[in-house]
Amino acid sequence: MGRPLIQRSPIPGLGLSAGITLSLLSIVVLLPVGALLLKGASVGPAGLWQQVNTPRVWAALWLSFRLSVLAALFNLVFGVILAWVLARYRFPGRRLVDAAVDLPFALPTAVAGIALTTLYAPNGVFGAFARDLGIKIAYTPLGIFIALVFVGLPFVTRTVQPVIDEIDREVEEVSATLGASRRHTLRHVVLPMLAPAALTGFALSLARAVGEYGSVIFIAGNLPMKSEIAPLLIVIKLEEFNYDGATAIGIAMLLISFTLLFALNAVQIWSRRRIGHV
Amino acid sequence: MHIDIDEISKEFGATAALHPVSLSVPSGALVALLGPSGSGKTTLLRILGGLEFPNAGRVLFDGQDATNLTVQQRRAGFVFQSYALFRHMSVFDNIAYGLNARPRASRPPKAEIARRVANLLALIQLPDIGARYPSQLSGGQRQRVALARALAIEPRMLLLDEPFGALDAKVRKELRQGLRDIHDTTGLTTLFVTHDQDEAMELADLVVVMSMGRIEQIGKPADIRARPATPFVREFIAA
Amino acid sequence: MSDAAPALRHPVTTERPLTRWLLIGLVITVLSILLFAPLIAVFVEALRDGLGAAVASLGAPEARSAIRLTLTVAAISVPLNAAFGIAAAWLVAKYDFRGKTLLLTLIDIPFSVSPVVAGLCLVLTFGAHSALGGWLVAQGHPIVFAFPGIVLASMFVTFPFVARELIPVMVEQGRAEEEAALTLGASGWRVFRSVTLPNIRWALLYGVLLSNARAMGEFGAVAVVSGKIRGVTATMPITIEMLYNEYLSTAAFALAAVLTLLALVTLGLKTLLEIRHADALAAARRH
Repeated sequence: MGRPLIQRSPIPGLGLSAGITLSLLSIVVLLPVGALLLKGASVGPAGLWQQVNTPRVWAALWLSFRLSVLAALFNLVFGVILAWVLARYRFPGRRLVDAAVDLPFALPTAVAGIALTTLYAPNGVFGAFARDLGIKIAYTPLGIFIALVFVGLPFVTRTVQPVIDEIDREVEEVSATLGASRRHTLRHVVLPMLAPAALTGFALSLARAVGEYGSVIFIAGNLPMKSEIAPLLIVIKLEEFNYDGATAIGIAMLLISFTLLFALNAVQIWSRRRIGHV
Repeated sequence: MHIDIDEISKEFGATAALHPVSLSVPSGALVALLGPSGSGKTTLLRILGGLEFPNAGRVLFDGQDATNLTVQQRRAGFVFQSYALFRHMSVFDNIAYGLNARPRASRPPKAEIARRVANLLALIQLPDIGARYPSQLSGGQRQRVALARALAIEPRMLLLDEPFGALDAKVRKELRQGLRDIHDTTGLTTLFVTHDQDEAMELADLVVVMSMGRIEQIGKPADIRARPATPFVREFIAA
Repeated sequence: MSDAAPALRHPVTTERPLTRWLLIGLVITVLSILLFAPLIAVFVEALRDGLGAAVASLGAPEARSAIRLTLTVAAISVPLNAAFGIAAAWLVAKYDFRGKTLLLTLIDIPFSVSPVVAGLCLVLTFGAHSALGGWLVAQGHPIVFAFPGIVLASMFVTFPFVARELIPVMVEQGRAEEEAALTLGASGWRVFRSVTLPNIRWALLYGVLLSNARAMGEFGAVAVVSGKIRGVTATMPITIEMLYNEYLSTAAFALAAVLTLLALVTLGLKTLLEIRHADALAAARRH
């Protein structure tokens, strides 16, 4: 018979809590996501492929994915440094900086989008500076990169920081007693301990960047084949009432996100099995 | 190597962890620093290892001033109470760590490192665990791996902070003998910190009883038992 | 005592002072460019024509209707998500059942779905061309390009926030206190109010805070489902986009400044909660 579906419990409220949970989950999440998959099934693999397999869609998917990877890589490196500085160093304004790291989580993406565009447009503060150097930022992929760095900034820092707090200082001390330089200790002892959390943050930052829309469209320029991101293409297809096309791109993006999360899970399981922690 | 501690004092902020203390440890001795928590014994051990620096006083290794040597330069084999094994490295890599961390010029070739690790694994009587990870070891095995890792750098002395503190009573007894054997085989000057007077008396050649940042008495276990120098020592060893 | 004191040394577990200050400098420089500059830019642009002009633009009918709509959407979607979060956390923490892991995975779906894809999903479900949507429109209850769609979109993107915050806290607290209260004769509702709620209130507030900030600022999902009908389905972020694209910079940034203030207040309260009630939050352990 196996174990029962639900263990009996003296605590009341099972029906109520299960009812609220399942009905809201169904209406808000499962039904809509199911509708996308159903629509995809009705279009069929051949139809979806036909919709995706156009130069413009490939260009948009490739642009979104490529810039997201680059932005997430930047955030991986900078996020680890930032987490280290916040966790280990004491300096005036540390609390303020620590609180500010979460700004991209709290600031609406449209606000971030217009603010970044204002700064990086050719007549903006940073944009004018870059123009003098012969670099155009806003309305180019470079601008998209900056917006994606902005929205993904907190993820690595916030996953790595608590791990740094938990590092046993004796591990670093023992490394020094064994003759290792500080640089060797950081490279061979500290970084490997941060790696699983940093990878988690990297994947979250990447997943966020791939789907990001609000902060990007203002700064992107949105030129087909050049600076048009995949989510924007969905919006355009919807405005053309091309539901099949929008569905195809939507499913492609879901596949990218879920592949990412699946890979992330695999890495975590692997590292937990090997070293007994995440 | 023989160690002299000359009028060492240490303060953490306003609190004095060590009042000036002096101690001479003959080469090859097995010494216990015995005392309750807060007696300054761990601070003294960490100063010897180069992990803390004294506010005043000198440390001499074989008569040479070692006070300003960095922790890397001291070559003290240090074993922490928590063992502080690198949990992302195999046992082999843990033990080889100090050798691999050397600058390229003085780093032994790979085959030589492997040979030395194998010898150390044999010394701690765990020849077959090189491929395992620390999370797969028992507490006693971890302690011995930490010891082997400290020995791998060919240390000038062995410093152990509560080496048996995290173990249950039965394993503790076994490993005491293990430490004694390793000490006798290597002939290294060895200091270990403990709050357990049985452990100190049974294992050490020389016992240093400490309390509140001061050395209360230095002597052979039998002498301390027979003639406690202060009321504190009498009470502490009676407990 | 201090005679012949050796040169002051840094502990062995930190970097040399020069390295430290270089890293601190790097971090502050990058954050100034990436975080602080946009923040300042919002207010500078909003006040470009003076405070009077900024305030006046907030009083325009378009802006007022956007503010009203955004507040209404948050007032409906946030409590619903809080109710969901509490129910889901209660279910997961108080009972053992098969499929718990699946349930947790399903709750997390919105984290990994692009807001635009979320909007697309809602359009496909409730749009006039779909079976369900067509029927609802015929009944006189359109969802897409109407108020309910905006609420659903806001709920979708913030769906896991409260649940994610409460589940670890409630799982950690276990069941003993509730069981004790039950043996003392308390009713289920009373147990929840007098035993569970006090234990989770700070975590609940934390989740609600984040959920509210995100719901009021949501753009991508709402852009897809709202139809951007001026004065009817244009929320604050959508109105910001429309004003910005019409080169009404001051008006756009004035609205943006309002949302930025909200974000700053949210961050402030969040930090305060993290300092005061760290032990009662799951966030510190989770991120």
